Amino acid sequence: MSNSSTSDLLKPFKLKTKQQELLIRVSILCLVYILAFITRLFSVLRYESMIHEFDPYFNYRTTLYLTQHGFYDFWNWFDYESWYPLGRIVGGTLYPGLMVTAALIYRLLHFLRFAVHIREVCVLTAPFFASNTTLVAYFFGKEIWDSGAGLVAAILIAVCPGYISRSVAGSYDNEGVAIFALLFTFFLFVKAVNKGSLAWGLASAFGYFYMVSAWGGYVFIINLIPLYVLVLLITGRYSMRLYVAYNCMYILGMLLAMQIRFVGFQHVQSGEHMAAMGVFFLMQVFYFLDWVKHMLSDTKLFQEFLRITVTCAVAAGGIALGVGMASGYISPWTGRFYSLLDPTYAKDHIPIIASVSEHQPTAWSSFMFDFHILLFLFPAGLYFCFKRLSDATIFIVMYGLTSVYFAGVMVRLILVATPAVCLISAIAVSATVKNLTVLLRSKNKVAQIGSTKGTSSAKASSKASLDQSQPFQKNGAMALLFGAFYLLSRYATHCTWVTSEAYSSPSIVLAARGAHGNRVIFDDYREAYFWLRQNTPPDAKVMSWWDYGYQITAMGNRTVIVDNNTWNNTHIATVGRAMSSYEDEAYEIIRSLDVDYVLVVFGGVTGYSSDDINKIGGGVFPVIKEPDYLVNGEYRVDKGAAPKMLNCLMYKLSYYRFGEMMTEYGKPPG
Amino acid sequence: MTVFSLVLLTYFMVVSGFVYDVIVEPPGIGSTQDPATGAVRPVVFLPGRVNGQYIIEGLSSGFMFVLGGIGIVLLDLALDKNRARSVKVSYAIAGISSVVIAYVMTTLFIRIKIPGYLR
Repeated sequence: MSNSSTSDLLKPFKLKTKQQELLIRVSILCLVYILAFITRLFSVLRYESMIHEFDPYFNYRTTLYLTQHGFYDFWNWFDYESWYPLGRIVGGTLYPGLMVTAALIYRLLHFLRFAVHIREVCVLTAPFFASNTTLVAYFFGKEIWDSGAGLVAAILIAVCPGYISRSVAGSYDNEGVAIFALLFTFFLFVKAVNKGSLAWGLASAFGYFYMVSAWGGYVFIINLIPLYVLVLLITGRYSMRLYVAYNCMYILGMLLAMQIRFVGFQHVQSGEHMAAMGVFFLMQVFYFLDWVKHMLSDTKLFQEFLRITVTCAVAAGGIALGVGMASGYISPWTGRFYSLLDPTYAKDHIPIIASVSEHQPTAWSSFMFDFHILLFLFPAGLYFCFKRLSDATIFIVMYGLTSVYFAGVMVRLILVATPAVCLISAIAVSATVKNLTVLLRSKNKVAQIGSTKGTSSAKASSKASLDQSQPFQKNGAMALLFGAFYLLSRYATHCTWVTSEAYSSPSIVLAARGAHGNRVIFDDYREAYFWLRQNTPPDAKVMSWWDYGYQITAMGNRTVIVDNNTWNNTHIATVGRAMSSYEDEAYEIIRSLDVDYVLVVFGGVTGYSSDDINKIGGGVFPVIKEPDYLVNGEYRVDKGAAPKMLNCLMYKLSYYRFGEMMTEYGKPPG
Repeated sequence: MTVFSLVLLTYFMVVSGFVYDVIVEPPGIGSTQDPATGAVRPVVFLPGRVNGQYIIEGLSSGFMFVLGGIGIVLLDLALDKNRARSVKVSYAIAGISSVVIAYVMTTLFIRIKIPGYLR
């Protein structure tokens, strides 16, 4: 009696299976969205809502300018406060996507009468876009495999440390927005290839435009997609859908990309973009051949025609490329991207690129740190993709392999590999779990079939043996499922620990353990910049090493000589020479640059290590020779140090009155 | 099949830090001097930094990753209908043991390398 009444009560809430499934999927996606946002908030909770690192300060300053002066002034801004006396054409030398996005969000919030400061919007832009990336990953997974894989991909990418490292709250840098744009463009293009519709091709062109406006890494897209199209053509998967999708995306995307001043005409002039153009013309050749094949009924004639046409086309393309490169119209690959193909190039030729710690090649522990069990699931996922080849799985395999190779060359590019690794691992997880659950559910069906069909002795014995193994299989599958969930839970624990310990430090505020285990906060950087802002005349010029340039202009509001843009190597080398010369020579150089203040960062008390001035200065001025500063190849700063080291400007500024400093009571000073 | 094994080989090389080995040229294995006896002892894991390695530790970790991946592949092969039962069982056992060994060893390696791991 009571049973039927409760079931009557629940009847309006009882859902059909399809609706139940939809409810589960939507609630999982909502939870993942919130999770991706929350896990990036560690530093905001521990310190305060501030911008981290060095580059984001420049982005923040430009966003501030954009909201205060409007888009037209921002687009035509000439900044005289950095790179004194050269100045910097800001409008033509940055990627505006990030700033415009943050400014739009700011305008929207103000329109809804939420009076937030632009700094809060900047700090929280990256976590917001990380949450959006999880949604895109879900749809992409659904496109490649099925909705189960999409859900797992969304969960994996929400907490993956490889992505979190560059998108924590406060890391207001191009990559926070760019990874969303990258995955979105790839998703739209794969959708366009699957559907063959012009609308999706148009959408992918606009996605590409957003990516070009956001990050210099768009070169990866404009090379990966032509490579993918080439692989499809070679494996005989040419189709009308591919033709429509690629043509639409390439032409419209190229035209839209030329609207960004920093990119300009590179799509027709730079060697890095020539692959896309070559594949475009190859597509036209394929279309032409397809049409001829349709018209001709004689296959042998067609084969001859095919051979002649392909040879002519390839030859013509080769000649055109040769003429372009020889005449100088097509510029060769820039050093930044060439060092990806030939990793030893930067070490010998471009020390400023080689000195950045993010540009070092990757060791196994960085991979493990950033990916954990995804490193096991990646090869398994590749196996599943090979088992079920389609246009979409070929794309994700290519994206995965190329991005993992580049991640091996440069630590920073682990970020670009993360979506591919998460998607392929999601395929592995989804396929394995599906296999196991099929095994779990199979017992009932077999028993039913055994009872409805008749029994003969052979069938009975085989059924008996099958029934004997069923419980064992069922238990085995259950145990394996628990194992899989255990591994995934360890992954989640690892990711949260890594986020909390390694990737949530603002870099401008340092924390350390004091003598009694208490937490000591060093806010020296911000105090120094604030001192500059308060105590120096407004037109004072500050000289420092290029790492701190952006922060000085943003927080100290003073003109600097060199900053992180590093576009003028000679100017940086001049500063390096001033820092490493004897005091009287350095004074000459400094007066010629019209400098009023010199800022040095000294880590001798806390054990803070630093940068390679000699290599960069010595690259331009051969007068600076590194062996002059070392004793027998060793770096020493005490009485036994080389005389050049003891007398150079940097040493004198850092160790000024160091002998009077007491580090610990009872120990001798200095 | 051949393409997949080539892919696995490339993956093994990249994940072992092959590019790091070529550019930075670390020693195959490190050494430290025992302060008490003065004997020279080998050090397998480069201590102190996350992004640094010796050649041998890179290769062994890369091998563990590939082993784990192959374990999952063997598990999928074990669930394939068209094989003899004994083959399926042996694949399943090999797959499960590969995954377990790979996971345990990798966790052990990272615990040795990064002293404060998960604390």
